[in-house]
Amino acid sequence: MAIINLQNVTYKYPLTDSPVLHNINLQVNEGEFVAVIGPNGAGKSTLCYTIAGFVPHFFKGELTGTVEVAGSESSNSSLHEWVLNVGLAFQNPFNQISGAKYTVFEEIAFGLENTGVPREEMKPRVEAAMKLTDISDLADRSPYSLSGGQQQRVALTSILVMQPKVLVLDEPTSQMDPIGTREVFSVIRTMAEQGMTVVLVEHKVEWIAKFADRVIALYEGQILLEGKPQAVLTSDLLMDKGFGISRYTSTAREARNQGLWQNDRPLPVTLDEAVEGFRK
Amino acid sequence: MNDRLSFYRKKNSLIHRLNPFTKLALIFTLIVIGIFGTGYWTASIVVCLVLIPLTFISKLFWEYLWVVLRLILPTATFMFVMQSIFIPGGITEIFHIGPFSVELETVQRSFLIVSRLFLVISAFAFLLLSTHPSELMSDLTRRGLAPQFAYVIISTLQILPQMQAKAQTIIAAQRSRGLDTQSSFIRRVGSLVPLVGPLVFGSLVEVEERAIAIEARGFTSTHVKTSLHDVPDSNFDKIIRWVLVALVLIALALKIWLS
Repeated sequence: MAIINLQNVTYKYPLTDSPVLHNINLQVNEGEFVAVIGPNGAGKSTLCYTIAGFVPHFFKGELTGTVEVAGSESSNSSLHEWVLNVGLAFQNPFNQISGAKYTVFEEIAFGLENTGVPREEMKPRVEAAMKLTDISDLADRSPYSLSGGQQQRVALTSILVMQPKVLVLDEPTSQMDPIGTREVFSVIRTMAEQGMTVVLVEHKVEWIAKFADRVIALYEGQILLEGKPQAVLTSDLLMDKGFGISRYTSTAREARNQGLWQNDRPLPVTLDEAVEGFRK
Repeated sequence: MNDRLSFYRKKNSLIHRLNPFTKLALIFTLIVIGIFGTGYWTASIVVCLVLIPLTFISKLFWEYLWVVLRLILPTATFMFVMQSIFIPGGITEIFHIGPFSVELETVQRSFLIVSRLFLVISAFAFLLLSTHPSELMSDLTRRGLAPQFAYVIISTLQILPQMQAKAQTIIAAQRSRGLDTQSSFIRRVGSLVPLVGPLVFGSLVEVEERAIAIEARGFTSTHVKTSLHDVPDSNFDKIIRWVLVALVLIALALKIWLS
């Protein structure tokens, strides 16, 4: 069953002439892990904001078409109801810290306080969420004293603790070193394994190939390609349109031109696939 | 980075266990009595005989002294000297420096103003030292203060050190491109432009992101907000607050009656 349903969605930011999203049709099933890729300016963040309700409620502008999540329609709901269904985390972890709390524990409880969760329920929920993202040891630290990767995990936990049905992540690892990236991805994978619906915008295609159920390639506000990670991420079309593709894919493609890669073998996205392909 | 971004010092004392609102009422009472109280020495007496003993009870005397020496005393001294010298109107001249004469009456008046100022700042320093800001705000929110207002106060307190750190980064970046920040005063004032621009515009962008982030966590939810920490409000607190209200009324009545 589709939990996210976008029908003919076109959106224009205020004071701009051309739409950022053109006629988007997108269905995401409950428990599905969908990754969105695309060059800069393709409308990836806008798509995230649309699913998360910030378009049009926060950014105003002109939205046509219908956006449905878990059966309710975004234009008929208010943003503060919407965020209970859809959790959003984005790039800069520093700006996602509320600034109103002095410890990580309080920071994570912030969303629960706002939505009126009773105190007795709050503590176990915060503790469980922190355990899930493996940050229990940071509970008493100041959120500002953490590293980028830790802050991003705190930001993610702050959203997870609210138990949304859908998790929308806009390049959560873009400012992270490889260790931070791995930390964040392991959290995302745990969430996906627990059956949460995840929409992830990400440039790191090797990670997408490992985890995502489906990949959507966004180009100039439209869906260019859609399908299994392997098929989409190795498509020739992506290379022509300037998408970031995996170095293993481009190496193998070059190898194929030179006759070093079997023609009928699909191109690799990850290191393991590449190693296996070159061994044959 | 600094882990402690507030004045608050955790101690185990009677004062620390009081409800934040009681403490707010306490310092408000001290300020009202000190300022409206009759008598020239009232403010000074309140500081010496009430506020300083309170810092002992709350085991915060040394911290308080530090604030006095670093912040309050320099400001107060500066104001006292300036007011004594530059405000005309006295009769009994004590001495004069060039065209400015210092009169007994102005010195007395400056002392009165400065002692009251000393009381106000001291009282707030005492409140901030003995009360955790988020406890104060969650208690006030519970009593009806708008959560948006509480958020603005708390986040400002937290954000200042961050802004400072960011300004340092921008200064370093601009200096590495040849900006002069160490020569004459005029040139340094000129150097402020390339510092303030990025700081202000950068902060505006951050404000939008932060607004999205707190909105995503239900900040504008219409639910009645709850609070992680239970801020105790005992009967003892309530009695103290009634006593304080009585003291304020007595002080005001005395003021009206005696004048």
